[in-house]
Order: sequence, then structure tokens, then C-alpha cells
Amino acid sequence: MTDDLERLRRVRPDRLLPDDPPDPETLVRGKARLMSAITGPADPADAAGAVSPADAAGAAGAAGQRRSPSIYPRLAYRDEVAALGFLTRAFGFVERREARMEHPDGMLAWLEIGDGMVMIGRAGEEHHGLHSPLDVGALTAMVNVRVHDIDAHYRRAEAEGARIVMPLEEMFWGDRRYEALDPEGHRWHFAERVTRAPDQPGEFTGGGGHTGGGGS
Amino acid sequence: MEESDGAVIAGSLETPGAFGIIFDRHGSTLLRFLTRRVDPAEAEDLLGEVFRIAFERRSTFERDRDSARPWLYGIAANLVAKHHRSESRRLRAMARVSARRVLPDDPAERAVAAADAGVLWARVVDAIGTLPEAERQVLLLYAWEELSYEEIASALGVPVGTVRSRLSRGRARLAALTRERDTAVGVPLAPFAPCDAGGDR
Repeated sequence: MTDDLERLRRVRPDRLLPDDPPDPETLVRGKARLMSAITGPADPADAAGAVSPADAAGAAGAAGQRRSPSIYPRLAYRDEVAALGFLTRAFGFVERREARMEHPDGMLAWLEIGDGMVMIGRAGEEHHGLHSPLDVGALTAMVNVRVHDIDAHYRRAEAEGARIVMPLEEMFWGDRRYEALDPEGHRWHFAERVTRAPDQPGEFTGGGGHTGGGGS
Repeated sequence: MEESDGAVIAGSLETPGAFGIIFDRHGSTLLRFLTRRVDPAEAEDLLGEVFRIAFERRSTFERDRDSARPWLYGIAANLVAKHHRSESRRLRAMARVSARRVLPDDPAERAVAAADAGVLWARVVDAIGTLPEAERQVLLLYAWEELSYEEIASALGVPVGTVRSRLSRGRARLAALTRERDTAVGVPLAPFAPCDAGGDR
């Protein structure tokens, strides 16, 4: 017979329904409410300065509630804690610290650059069947990121040990870009627009149209 | 080397905004705790309450304490106790889920027909709801939150010996309740019978 404590552990709600983590927005809202209660809504600068350097680096809106983008990828790592350290150190991501979820079987974190976001978690069949490139030896996706000052970004990434797999160079469509692998082999494409483009959507369609290799 | 929670909270007496660091460190743990215990919709409100209360009482937090987590758990557990109806609803909803759910990683369960196992889990959940409040708090802080005896004592403001005795009384009661129900084979549990309609309240 199963031990009574073990039975109790088994009916823990998030074990019965482990499928989805809570919405990180809940924590973002909770934090924003706490800060406005503490410092008053009129004093966002104080809140951001005192609370976390993350907010200061996180571009616009110290007190303004940032919303999650409609689409963001989730990447899997054998060692998601190390990945979090690397991505913030080498690539300049800023963690939504208040959203971090720590479980005995893995951490979830949300990282931002500009208005974009990625989520990272532990790899494994039980974690939505997502695997680390280290374990499968292949990639099926790449994350594209726009940054400011691509040269400084590149130097920092290289100094922190990112494996550069495509050199920093200016491309005919007006981007300066490079690609790098993180320690578990996820591939990242970093770019900055360096030539003034017409203020129109469809960046990649100028001139002779989109060549097949442009997106890969 | 991160500053201890005690130092951060002491600092927040001068610079209130620094208290946000305490939310960063423990907000998600407390949200998870509350989501386990009350209606998910209510959990968000209670999370706000926990930190509002903690902020107001921050001058009582001892500076040399490393972690504010047990203290925050204590505030949260107290709020859960005051929202007993929501807690009961949460347990009823869980019992319905567990009655249907087959936990694939459980060797004990494979020995039993899946449907019977589901009924067993529903009974465990049912039994949780019938425990005396004080025992339920200690049992769930121990089994679900994985706090130590010392942390539970500090959270609830009782001696460690009290934690031990409540835990062992609670365990015995839970085992008895579940055993009793184990033997009542074939008697469907009225509130948890697999009728979804109208089972929300």
C-alpha cells in the first residue's frame, strides 16, 4: 500500500494537472500592484531604481506594465539555470525576475530584449517533449533578435564564450548581423538595421525579392 | 553574494521600494502555494494581500533571518484559512480531476484498475477536506510545499514539537479516513461521482 504521505503528495494539484505553468503575467501584475502601493503610482523611477536593475535595462516603461508578446518561443536546456546565466551575460537578455518559477524538477524563466521575449525551461520528454540540441544533435529552429549596437553585442557574446557560427557582417538588405550558438547549441541570429530602409513593412522584399537563403 | 532577506527588508524601512526584491525572490513560490490551495482566480488576489500585509509588517521581521519564505508562508496560510469556502471549492474541483486522472508514473497504480485508482485519489482529496484546519495546514505545508519542521514552526508561530504532533495526528487521521473509504468498496462517493453537470458549486 502506498504510504499515506506519498498519497498526499500525489494529489498535489499541480501534479494532477502538470500541463501548464501559471501565467507569468499574474506575477508581473502582482509586482506592479505591490510597487504602486509602496511607492505610489506617480513615482515609477524610484520603484525601478530601487527594485531591480532589470527594470532599468528593460527599455521603456519602468512602472508601466509590460505585456507579453503574442508569440514567444520556449527553449529547452539540460541545465536551464546555467542557460539563464549565459543568456543574460553573453546576449544581454533581461530576466523578468518576478516571473521566475522554481520547481524541484526544473526552473522556468522569461527573458526579454526590447519588446521580444523567450521562455526557457528544462529539457525532457516530460517537459512538453522539448529537447536540448545537446541531446538530439540537431536544430529545428532559430531565434532572431534585433538589438542596438550590434558591434558591442557581438564583442560581448564572443568574450563570454558564445560560439560564433556566422561572422558579423553587413548584409545587402541593410542589416548587420551575426549568428551564434549558446552552450547547449541553440542558434541565435542577432541583427541591427544599419542602412536606412524605406519606412515600410516587408523589409526583406526590397529589390529583387526574397532570395531563398535570406531567412535561414 | 546576495543580500539576505533580513538585510533587504531592513533596508526597505529606509527605501520602501527595495521590498520589491522580496517579491522577486518569493512571489512565484507563494503564488504556486495559493494556486494549490484556493480557486485560481482568488489566488492572484491573495498573492497581493500576502505582500501587502508583509510590507506593512516588515518592521517586525528580524534582521538576521536569512529567508523570508516561512514568514510569507505563514501570512499566506492564515489567509487561506480565512477563505475556507474557496479552499473547499478547490478541493472539490481537484477531486473531480483526480477521479478521472490516471497518473502514469505510479507503479502502485498500475496494479489497480485505472478507474479504481482514480476513485482512491478522489478519496484522498476528500479526506484532506475533512481534516481539522490546524492539521491540514501542517500536513500540506510538509507534503506539498516541502517545508521542514522548523520552517513550518516558524511560519505558523508554534513550537517544533507542536508541528510534529499535528503532523503525526494528521497523518493518522488521513490514513484512517482513506482506509475506511478503501473498505467501502462499490459505494460511490456522492459529491465526486463522475457527473460533471452541476458539480461546480
